[in-house]
Order: sequence, then C-alpha cells, then structure tokens
Amino acid sequence: MPVYSISHVENVRVCVVMVGLPARGKSLIAQKIVRYLSWLSINSKCFNVGNYRRQLAGTEDINAAFFDSNNAEGLKYRREAIDNAVTDMMKWFSDENGVVGILDATNSTRERRDRILKLCRENLIEPMFLESFCDDDELILQNILDVKTTSPDYVDKDNEFATQDFLQRIKFYEEIYETMDQATDSDLTFIKLVNVNSQIILNRIESYLESRIVYYVMNLHIKPRCIWLSRHGESEYNLTGQIGGDSNLSDRGMRYAKKLPDLVLKSLGEENKHTNLTVWTSTLKRTQQTASFLPYKKKLQWKALDELDAGECDGMTYEEIENKFPEDFKARDDDKYEYRYKGGESYRDIVIRLEPIIMELERQENILIITHQAVLRCLYAYFMNVPQEESPWMSIPLHTLIKLEPRAYSTLVSRIKADIPAVSTYKEKGTSQLGEASGPNISKSRDLIKDSDVV
Amino acid sequence: MSTTSAIDSDDEGGELFNGFGSAPMSRSTSQKRTSKRWSFHNNTRPNLQDMPSAASIARRLSDITGEDGVHEEMSVSVLGGGQLYSTESGRLFHAGKIIISLAGLPGRGKTHLSVSLTRYLRWLGVKTHSFHLGNYRRASAEDDITHDLFVPSPNSKKANDIRNKIVNECLSDILNFFKNDKGQVAIYDAVNALPEYRLELHQRFKELNIQVLFIESLVTDDSIIMKNMEEAARSSPDYLSWDYQKAYKDYSERIKTLTPYYKEMGAEKESELSYIKFINFGERIELHNSNYGYLINKVVFYLMNSRIKSGSVFFARCYKNSLEYTQDPPLDEEGLKYSRDLAATLFDHLKSQGKHYIKELDEIKERLRPLAPARTLSVEERHPAAGVDGVDINSLVVWTSVKQRTVETTKFFAERNVKIRHRIQLSQKNPGIVGGLSEEEIEQKFPNEYDHYQRDPYHYRFSRSESYHDLAIKIEPLILEMERMSGDILIIADDTILKVFYGYLMSCSCYDIPYLNFSTDEIIEVKFNAYSNSATRIPITSHEK
Repeated sequence: MPVYSISHVENVRVCVVMVGLPARGKSLIAQKIVRYLSWLSINSKCFNVGNYRRQLAGTEDINAAFFDSNNAEGLKYRREAIDNAVTDMMKWFSDENGVVGILDATNSTRERRDRILKLCRENLIEPMFLESFCDDDELILQNILDVKTTSPDYVDKDNEFATQDFLQRIKFYEEIYETMDQATDSDLTFIKLVNVNSQIILNRIESYLESRIVYYVMNLHIKPRCIWLSRHGESEYNLTGQIGGDSNLSDRGMRYAKKLPDLVLKSLGEENKHTNLTVWTSTLKRTQQTASFLPYKKKLQWKALDELDAGECDGMTYEEIENKFPEDFKARDDDKYEYRYKGGESYRDIVIRLEPIIMELERQENILIITHQAVLRCLYAYFMNVPQEESPWMSIPLHTLIKLEPRAYSTLVSRIKADIPAVSTYKEKGTSQLGEASGPNISKSRDLIKDSDVV
Repeated sequence: MSTTSAIDSDDEGGELFNGFGSAPMSRSTSQKRTSKRWSFHNNTRPNLQDMPSAASIARRLSDITGEDGVHEEMSVSVLGGGQLYSTESGRLFHAGKIIISLAGLPGRGKTHLSVSLTRYLRWLGVKTHSFHLGNYRRASAEDDITHDLFVPSPNSKKANDIRNKIVNECLSDILNFFKNDKGQVAIYDAVNALPEYRLELHQRFKELNIQVLFIESLVTDDSIIMKNMEEAARSSPDYLSWDYQKAYKDYSERIKTLTPYYKEMGAEKESELSYIKFINFGERIELHNSNYGYLINKVVFYLMNSRIKSGSVFFARCYKNSLEYTQDPPLDEEGLKYSRDLAATLFDHLKSQGKHYIKELDEIKERLRPLAPARTLSVEERHPAAGVDGVDINSLVVWTSVKQRTVETTKFFAERNVKIRHRIQLSQKNPGIVGGLSEEEIEQKFPNEYDHYQRDPYHYRFSRSESYHDLAIKIEPLILEMERMSGDILIIADDTILKVFYGYLMSCSCYDIPYLNFSTDEIIEVKFNAYSNSATRIPITSHEK
C-alpha cells in the first residue's frame, strides 16, 4: 500500500528549471529542495550542468574566457554539457521513476528555456522555472566569496584571481541573459525571487507539490544558527532493554539531565553563553525530565517528537520480540525503514508526522531538541542527507550532545560526550542482542555520528 | 531566503511558551512567576466542567450541521484547532499585530478572500477577524444604498458623511480588536481604491506599531468577474430579497461607477508599502517588500492553494470504528452493504445536484478498451498539470486511511473510475491506554486522568494516546491540498478525524470539536460559499441489489 506524505505523487512529475546568473544561490536552493523532498521519500535529483561541463572539459584551463559567448570551443562544451544533463534527467524520470528533477544551470536565454519546456511537455513532465534574480551588488559579492571557496573551478587558485575571473564570467552571462517576465512568460509556471526574497513572483503554481516547494524555499533563511540534538538520558527501560514505554530516567540518566545545561554552555562557547535557545521535547516523561534543568524559557512539547510507536511490541525486549514474533523480527531487519510494527509505526510514518514541524524547524534559530533514538535518526537524516536505507541503522549514543551548524553548502557536525556511562541501545542487524559488534556486517552508516568531531 | 526571518518587535519574545502537552512545563525555582499571567494552562481559560451544568450540556453538540463560526466574535480564550502553542500576549509566530487590508473593485472576490483567510488563520490559532466595510454600510444606510456610497469622493454631502462615518466605525472596531480582544490579524475588507487612502492607512497603523499588508485582488479574466457578479447578485446581503436580474444590473452598475476611480497598486509613491498582488485568484501572486516572516509566508502558502471552490467536501464514517485501534480486519457482510449503500447514495446525490460526471458501470467497460497512444497534445501550449487530482470541477476524489476495511469500502467507488487516495494521516486517533473502554469505564479506572480529560478534551492526551490537537497538526498538509482541489472530495474516516476536518471547514472552536457527532447513517456535505460555508446531511439509504 503506497503511502503519500506530501502529495499523491505517483502521477505528478515536476522538472524544476533553475534560472539565473552565476552567484545567485541557485545551487544552494537546488540542493536544499532535493534534500527536503528526498527526506519526504519523494524521488528527486539535481542535475548540475557545471559538473557535466567539468567532466567534459576538465578544470585545468577554465577561466572566464571559456564562458564568452563568442568562444566557439567553450560554447561547444557548454552545449554538450547541458544536452548530457538533460538527457540524463529524462532517462532518470523514465527509468528510475523520478518525481522532481532539478536542472541546475543558468538557463539564461529564452531559447534555451523553450527547448527544455517543449521537451518536458512532450514527456508529460510539469516544467517549473525557478529564477533567482539579484541586482544588489553587496549580496552578489557576498555570494561570490562563498562560491569561490567551494567551487571546484577554483580549487588551488589564487583568491584575488578567482574573484576577478568569476566577475568576468558573470559579465559574459549578463550579455545574453533574459530574465523571466510576466508579459512574455505569463503562460509558464515560474517563481521569481528578487534580491533574496524582497520581491517574489509566483506564476501559475498548479499543484500542491509545487506550492510546497515554493513555501519551503520561502522559509529558508540564511541567518547563522545552530541546532543541538540529544537523546533523553538513560531510562529505566534502557536498563532492562525494553523498547517504547514511558519510563522515568535512571540515576545515570538523571545525572545527564543535570549536566546538560553545562554541556550546552560549553558548546555555545564563552562569548555566546547568553544565547537564548528554544527547547523542544517529546511528550514522554524521559525527554521532559532530561530538559528539566535547562534554564531556557521557551520549552515546547511535541507529540510529533515521541518515540516510534512499537504497537504490540511496546514494552518488550528485542529478545522477547524475536521469540514471540520471529517473522516480524526478521521483516524489520530486512527493511527497517518501511517495516511497520503491528498496530504501530514505521520510520516512514515518523517522517510523515515530522513533516508539518520540519518547516517550523527551518524557521527557528538556535534550538535544542531532546527526543528519542528513531526520531533523532530521522531528523539527523534530514539535515545530513542520509539515505533511507541507512538512516535507521545509525548509532546515536546516549548521553551525547550533537551540534549541527548549517552552512551554505554543507552542515558541520560536532558532538560533546557527557562522560556519564550509559547502556548501549544499538541493535545490529540479525541479532536481538544490544551493543555494537565489530565485523564485516555492520551498517556503513552506523558510526556516522560517532566519527564526527568530538569537541 | 529571507535574511530577516521574523520581526521581533513583539512582546512575545520574553514570554513563557506553552506547547500543548500532557502537562505544563514547570519553571525552575529561580524563575518563579512573579505576577499572574494568562496562559493556556492556568485556570483563567474556560473551565467547562465547573460551568453551570446547563451550559456544559449545551456544549455537547449533537447537531453538527450548525453555523459556520468564521464570523463569530473571538473571545480571548478561544483557541484554533491547529494552534501549535500559546503565548501570554495571545499573539503567535513573533509576528506582532498585522492588519491585512484588501484592495480591489467589487466582484474581485475580496469577501471570499477575507473569509477564507480568516478561517485558515483562526485554525492556526491566530486571533483573526474580518471586518467587512459592507456590513457597516448596510447598518448605516439601510435601504438607501446608492452607488455614491462606494466611490471615494461622493457627490452628495450626505453620502460623503455616511461614508466617513462607516469607515471610521470600521477602523475603530479594528483598533478595539487589537487593543481589547488580543487580536493579532484584522482583515479589512474594503475597496481601498486610491493610493492616498492606502498610504494614510499604512501611516495611521504604523504609528500604532501595527504592520499593514495589502492584498490587492485583480482580475484580468472577464469570465471570472461574470461568475462573481452572478454569485453576488444571488447571495450578497446587499441584495437580499432582490429580483435576480435587477440585482445583477445594480451590481454591474456599481462596478462601472467605481472602475474609473480605482488605481492599481504599485505606483512610485507606494513603493514603501508591503503588498501582495493576487491576480486571477492565484494564477499569479506577486509579493512586494515581503520580508515579513513566517506568518505571512503561511498566508502566501495558503493563497497559493486557495481556490474558489465549486465542489463540496463529503464526510462519511468508516465502518465499525468501535474496533480496537490495533485491529485491522477486512470488511464483513454488513460492512460490504454499508459500503455499497454509501457509494450509491452519494452517486444519487451528485446526480440530483446536476453533477453527471460519474460514469455508469457499463460505460466504463466500454472505456477500458486499450487507450489511444498517450501523448497527442501540442507542445506549443500549456495544458492542465498531468496527474493532479481535483483540477477538474467535475471530478470526485476519495480520501481514506490505510486500514483494510476502509480500503475495501472504496471498492464501489473504484469500479466507477473514481480516484482513491489512501493516507496514513487519516487513521483514527490513537486511544492509548483507554482504547476499547467506554466513558464510564475510563472514569472508573482512571478517575484522575478522566477529570483532566473532561476539562480539555481537545488537548488532553491519555497516556500513549493522541489528542484531537495532535490530529489537527498531522492533517494540516491535507487541509491545504483539500483547499486546492476544485472538484468534489469524499473523506471516509474514523469520526475522530472527521471532527477535525469539519472543525476546520466550519470554524469550530476547539472546545466544540470533540463533541461533534457523526453518525453512520448519513453523509455530511460541506459546501463552500463566499461569505460562509454550510453543512447539510444526506441520509444513507439502502440500495439492495
């Protein structure tokens, strides 16, 4: 039985065609959309034409002159690059049941956009143009600083050279650039973001999925902020190896709760120690007890942050489950993301219930979330783009504070251990015993979080 | 991406936030509250249980076909069904106070826009009220509504005086709403034809620390205006007991008289204003100076999905929802009969309303022959989005949960080519530890919890259970999808879910939602109208084979 989170997407296919000069944040927006939709199990992929071009032409001799519209060789490479990207995208739509494909390129001329438009219509794919328009020099320069430090085109190149060269490249594009406008393009579905959202034009948004993408883009903000994630302290059920329930913290769990305010302060650093955080917890006792010593005033409980509901297995140990429901036990190990406990939930169900609050989370600034293993895996997967097959197998140790710092093109992770012992609640595939084994069968993402920097 | 995601001028920043949960968050001892402040969890909210018993009985709404509550005055303590948290000022999202002022000629759907926005914002828990200048005009001028009353500078002194009086009355009510009713969003539904007016409005409210956002409704498609004129002549309160033809003529004259005065927004002197142009009911939306933050983004999200709906939403209970939460049996004989009757009753009803789009069985067999090769549409022009539900006014989509018996219930719809969508969010409210118990048994077994539940059945969560409020948050994405669909929708679900949907559509306060009563022998139809929605019952009749 298919379950749709965002929209009934089995028929709808959307091609998001990015439009805009270089250094307008197109790639950032494209990546964010892909991350958001993939997390919602909507098959989406970004096709970055720059990468195709680099594959064809290398990066050795790339400088601004390559992008001169009079440079025949450069033009040839660039045409080929976009053709390849479009071909791959169409193949992906048909062979891999793609739902939202994003063509990340400047697509700066109407002629180019027309070709993509027709191709989409031929294939019953809804084209949606997303233009990022900016004529505020300060914003552009700021963005160039960002791009130049991350773009593969400028690896090992001198800073000053990179800036100048990039500005020249933009000039070449400007010569041929045709912006989207209401009169000529009134028949198209398009979004035009002017100067980082100070003006937005939305034309003919015709499906819920499209409106959701627009809403998401509107809510992205680029203010620096941090997100802290923590599991609740060790609970009484953790000690006995039972899952679910609504038990109290163990003595060691209580010690963690008492230490948590200090850990947060340490993570904030001396100069930011007065930063005010918002604290989110689940409705279960163990997360509230964990949050109870934090001095912050804004505390919110969310049902959506409650632990995965194990249905009939609630309160059992893995051993008991294996004995009582051997088939279910195996089915869950085979496909942990999709497996739904009898009368309970699957990981996918958690993502669906988190959907309405993820937008709330995007708009928040500094926030600390105290929740449970499965929910934390889902949240972490959202921020770090961990694929579905892997996210349920990540090990997230107790008594550890994880800090995420979203940056333009990546998210930095660090963690602080509380140095208070706790049991392991990690279960390897194929066993009912808890604890992290070693050997060839361990999930490749198990140690994802543990390998991140320890502060 | 906005660089300023929220406007922090409001007093909300330093307040205690209350998430709706099982227990209020306690402050640590160093933060003992010094003065008593309003919040959802202290005892200043209505205590339903200790009210005089007559009142508490009256709240048990067994008749769900009541009035649309979207125009009701909001008491300070009323909470919307989808409200995420409460604050002491009563205002949310760090958004401060906002007046949304509409602009546009008559016949541009301003009333519809203000009412549906009010509905959505109230649902989110934002204290919102729409102020229709027309209501004030009707109250003042009574039988004497001349076109002169609508133009910005009337010829007669009398008309001029009345005009000023009604505008002042309306605006002072708006101020009152902000000042005394903890109002957060006032929607001012008036023509606001001239830039000078709009600038003055902006200035006046800015001084009071109230943000002004204009939403200008423009229509370039004459067929939409015609449709709106027909609707107005039929149902506008201005034309109560008027002959239709006469009303239509009068209304079109009103528009004609006003048109020369109206100046579209966006002139140089208005460059400071924040405004949204809403063109042809959402075909195009333009936001100018839009760094407003989350609340307005939500408004825009709503506007993107809001349609003038001609279809209805039908509600039907799923069969046997007395079953225990974790059980998932297939339909039995009785259930099969229920499903057949449900489908047949709805099909009959649609026909009786002049909707003949449901195909007969024999027609469908014809159509199941191999289809012609798919794509013959021209690539030169735009076509309706492929695969999107409810684009066609003449269509029915069924939404139901993923439980076996609801899946099987839809069989009689599927065989008539009706689209079926199964959504996990439509599963019944998880009853937690009180699953399978009657009210009396709950009272006996968990007297303490039951007492809390009685005080606030909407938000209270028995151990491990979901509250109605949890459902409301879960289905918010579906509500927007529902708003977008132009055709008919049938929702077959447990009554706990139906109550929440119904609560949204009819603007019920969250104190009433748990007491709504859906019975298994009828379908409830909610129809959309510009000024208010209406609900009717359709008895399910037996259709033996």
